[in-house]
Amino acid sequence: MTPLFSALSSVIARRWLASVALLVSGVACDRLPGAPSSSSAPPRGSPQWTLATFDTHCRGCHSMADEGASIPLMDRSYWTFASDAHVIDATTNGQGGLMPAFLDENGGPFTADEIAALARGMRTQWGGSVAGSIAATYTAGNAVAGGLVFAQSCGSCHGPTGTAGSLLDPSYLRLVSDQGLWASTLAGRKALGMPAWNEPMPGRPSGLTPGEAADVVSWIASQRPGGRGGAP
Amino acid sequence: MRFLAGALAWLESRSGLGAFIKPLMSHHVPRSATWWYVFGSATLMFFVIQVVTGVCLGTMYAPSAAEAWQSLRYIDKEVPAGWMIRALHGWSSNAMVVMMAIHMLQVFLHASYKYPRELNWITGVCLLLVVLALAFTGQVMRWDQDAYWGLGIGASITDRIPVFGSQIRDLLLGGPIIGGETLNRFYALHVFILPGAAIALVGLHMALIMRHGISEMPRPGAPVRPASYKKEYEERMARDGVPFHPDASQRDMIFCGVCLIALVVVAAIYGPFGPGGEPDPTLIDTNPRPDYPFMWLFGAVSLLPPASETFVMLVTPGVIVLALFLVPFLGNAGERAPSRRPVMVLAAAFAVIAIASLTWEGLASRWSPVMNGWSALPTPAQFVRGRTPLEMQGAVVFQFAQCRNCHALGGSGGQRGPALDDVATRFTPEQLTRQVQQGGGNMPAYGKNLSRAQMDAIVGFLSTLTPSYETPAAIPGAMLPLPISSAEPAPR
Repeated sequence: MTPLFSALSSVIARRWLASVALLVSGVACDRLPGAPSSSSAPPRGSPQWTLATFDTHCRGCHSMADEGASIPLMDRSYWTFASDAHVIDATTNGQGGLMPAFLDENGGPFTADEIAALARGMRTQWGGSVAGSIAATYTAGNAVAGGLVFAQSCGSCHGPTGTAGSLLDPSYLRLVSDQGLWASTLAGRKALGMPAWNEPMPGRPSGLTPGEAADVVSWIASQRPGGRGGAP
Repeated sequence: MRFLAGALAWLESRSGLGAFIKPLMSHHVPRSATWWYVFGSATLMFFVIQVVTGVCLGTMYAPSAAEAWQSLRYIDKEVPAGWMIRALHGWSSNAMVVMMAIHMLQVFLHASYKYPRELNWITGVCLLLVVLALAFTGQVMRWDQDAYWGLGIGASITDRIPVFGSQIRDLLLGGPIIGGETLNRFYALHVFILPGAAIALVGLHMALIMRHGISEMPRPGAPVRPASYKKEYEERMARDGVPFHPDASQRDMIFCGVCLIALVVVAAIYGPFGPGGEPDPTLIDTNPRPDYPFMWLFGAVSLLPPASETFVMLVTPGVIVLALFLVPFLGNAGERAPSRRPVMVLAAAFAVIAIASLTWEGLASRWSPVMNGWSALPTPAQFVRGRTPLEMQGAVVFQFAQCRNCHALGGSGGQRGPALDDVATRFTPEQLTRQVQQGGGNMPAYGKNLSRAQMDAIVGFLSTLTPSYETPAAIPGAMLPLPISSAEPAPR
């Protein structure tokens, strides 16, 4: 026994060795950080499943109030008017414009059951109940009356010379479907400065009425080049 | 007590075990052999751990394509401490490769391979090849997506060998494709053939160490002279050497003990490797990558210009192995001290830096697109604030056309192409249009995939990507809609 060896063995107390042995011996094994987690994938419809699915497939466009380029779904405003049936239809078949269809039969990644579970899960996560004061699906209104609404309210920001950028840009109107215009008008983008349909806006301290909303969307759609005015 | 002594004496007289072991323990080693000499022993310790844990796993692993993946899940979840055995086996294999590389580097820098120890080096190089083969076949044992695609890449490299390529591939895979027989062949390699070869080579390596003794620490001005080296070495050992046990072995044991504790801690914290997703060739949404010992190769192969691939993949490994075999014959006499061998020290430094940086490249694998970037990574807040409706639609088109899979915004997204946070400071709208339409510089052309309106929108969005974007002041009359043809159908 050399000095180095005996010095070392006196440093290492027996109790310490015993605790290392216990650690290795599998008694505490399953509580170590390296142990594979025993839970498998979260069940469909659970909050974890909803969030994971949303984060992989939806969040690129539909994120939080102040980020993401399309209508934020992690924000209450959309859910106040979008019924489950409407969300399921939009996810299943796409929405014209750039929103693709997500049903497997339509080339997407989800089954019909998964889409329904996702719609319910998202509402539980961010939505709450539908207010029911306006329909989620667009129905054409009176485009002529809508022109006046636009001039009085929307146009102050979104007119040809508006500070928030013109809504009448022909390329923009080509990319957005009538339903897309409708959903954007209803949901607004409050974090970016645009009020929802029933919130105070220039010229209309108590927001739009459902009829005015339909009229103004009809008028905006009628400005789309190519003669497609109003109704989808 | 007397009975025990009698029994031991009987065993000794019949087997001669003690007479065999005693000179192994008491043979003289140089006094100068200090902490530099512990790496070989640590490599051997990791090999023993591999054998022990490997035998344990062999009792539970099902080497069939249909059951292998499930049996690993079983070992991880159901067998008490089963995951720990897998973690030890996996981490110990990496540690063994690293320790072996360090040992080899030390032998190279100290020129211990010079006369008369050329064969020690050559058996060592053979051991390196066997251990790397064990590491590769071990990854196949996991039988997950990494294993499947790793094999696929290995098989297609084999396929490029001229004339005999397809025969060698068939021999390895048990047919032209990865199938049921493939796993059995690699299992036989991993648990019988390669460990057998490794044990034989370790035995030979040790026998050669005993035959020639451990080399002394190199001293400048003390060159190796083959004519007189052996005689002088033996004289020095008799005069100045110390017994291997306990003088040298205590350092080996302390270092091995530290390595063992480190191994157990790492295994306990980081757990076993894989298995990843099931090996399903129809799942292309995967990012397979090799284990650490081959990460540098992955980096090197991925960065090669396509035209040079076959040549580099087939010729370079042969050249490297040949060079390693030739090391002791290029200079087996003369100075051993690193200070007198600057070229060799530079060569070692080059090898270390090359392997380290290629491993880094392989780990980052910036050439791989982030396949779900377009649907998972939202446009960051600073890039949507203050944008016009058209520019916002451009940001949607940016996601829709999957630009994000290769281009990062706000630090997230693919790294295959440049980050676009400030692209508007480098490109005018006209240049952006040209780049998106025609591609170039490794980027595909999107001209045929995007409508004119989509192109307008995406260029509009990209033109706002500057470090401190603010909405341009409105100029009355400047933003009137331009006349535009009605050839394109409007969306419903």
